[in-house]
Amino acid sequence: MRGRRLSGPMFDAIAPIRMQRSRGAASVRLGPRGIEDLAQSGSAKAMLPRMTAGRPEIVFLNTAGGLASGDRLDYRIELAPRTQALATTQTAERAYRAKDAPAQIRLHLQVGEGGWLDWLPQETILYDGARLGRETAVDLAPGAGCLLLEPIILGRLAMGETIRHLQLTDRRIVRQDGRMIHHDALALDDAALSRLHHPAMLGKARAMASLALIAPHAADLLEPARAVLDEPGVTGAASAPPGRLILRLLADDGWPLRRQVIRLLRVLRPDPLPRIWQV
Amino acid sequence: MTTITPEAARLRLAQYLSPAFPTGGFAWSQGLEWAMDQGAVTRATLPQWLEDWLDHGAGWCDAVLLSLALRRGADHAELDDLARAMCPCARRLAETVEQGTAFAANVAALTGRPQSAAALPVAVGRACGCLPLPAGEIIGLYLQAQAAALISAAVRFLPLGPVEGQAMLAGLQPALLAAAARAGTADPKDLASATWGADLAAMRHETMVTRIFRS
Repeated sequence: MRGRRLSGPMFDAIAPIRMQRSRGAASVRLGPRGIEDLAQSGSAKAMLPRMTAGRPEIVFLNTAGGLASGDRLDYRIELAPRTQALATTQTAERAYRAKDAPAQIRLHLQVGEGGWLDWLPQETILYDGARLGRETAVDLAPGAGCLLLEPIILGRLAMGETIRHLQLTDRRIVRQDGRMIHHDALALDDAALSRLHHPAMLGKARAMASLALIAPHAADLLEPARAVLDEPGVTGAASAPPGRLILRLLADDGWPLRRQVIRLLRVLRPDPLPRIWQV
Repeated sequence: MTTITPEAARLRLAQYLSPAFPTGGFAWSQGLEWAMDQGAVTRATLPQWLEDWLDHGAGWCDAVLLSLALRRGADHAELDDLARAMCPCARRLAETVEQGTAFAANVAALTGRPQSAAALPVAVGRACGCLPLPAGEIIGLYLQAQAAALISAAVRFLPLGPVEGQAMLAGLQPALLAAAARAGTADPKDLASATWGADLAAMRHETMVTRIFRS
């Protein structure tokens, strides 16, 4: 039995009362002709809405309605050679106050030769006292590529929440043919929080997102991406080290951030946006 | 290889990490130039920028990479991949690889042992791993050299006198020592940062029309 709780805007500010730790694991394998394997357990679900056009879509959902101390969530995607897919999450992921062990999220995304994965999850919202460790491991076969988004919101500005305690480690590692080609790790703790307003850190921003596009043509998208980095309320920049396009966005709040992300996604990917990312 | 006394090792280390050692360090600012140009970093706030760089930014990550590269049995090719993979922008990548490659070429010329191109902290760790000195001492001196290079960039850009810059460096020394000690026992999981403002500065530096520095 797992502790389920209500979620939704009404309950966002209420600390959950959870007697048990939740566990969830969902795993999807897709081939060129569609789904080859689907396994899910505990609070994790994977849905594959029927698509009429564009790439197949995978939608993950954590039915526990958020993450608290000791919770663990595993998502896994395996794309066969020459398979393209888009994966996202049904709702924002909420990390609540954790007194003891941090909540853990593990993502393992494998893309076969010549394949492509768009990993476009919705926001991770961190509440005061949240402790979260997230590891995203991406394994690309030769000729495979991916687009990785990670939006993070510190508290809910609209609710006047400020964060006093936090422990976040959010690490993304991309390997191609076994060799590490991208490593992006964010660590926020109480020591960092006390300096968060400094210009070298987050300045006044309380919402942030990183985008990384890993592909041989990444550099071709640098100028088109820079051209749309003008959303009011967002400070963003882009750069293209060989084989990668990397963007960092800092925003006052989640809404301008979302608007900027949508405008960037329209430039960076040929297909229509997933329903969840449409406004 | 021949043995070297700690006293001789200290001289060698000071030589390698001196601004006179030809790695071209004077040409780079890690995005600091953009931040100064925008007024986000001033004479008054430079020490704060440096502390964030040291405790939560590229300074810290370099210190951990150096620590890993100093260890016996370190896989330097793999660490070099990691160091490059960690660079979030093109100029930061060029900065660490061009300096590291020059450093390795200098060391090869001095020691007669070939050294392949590598990111700076990996090249320094590979060259200094055999020195009979505590890791914390090597990391501390490396961080001080990097901080001094940033301050030197600020002295050239801001209204900031060279002696005032040296006073800032002296003020940073306790934090440099603390970071070096922490990095000495760190593991790859400690490679993480929170200095997105500095990352944005380094990215935006790429589009500056008039600039003194290459990053």
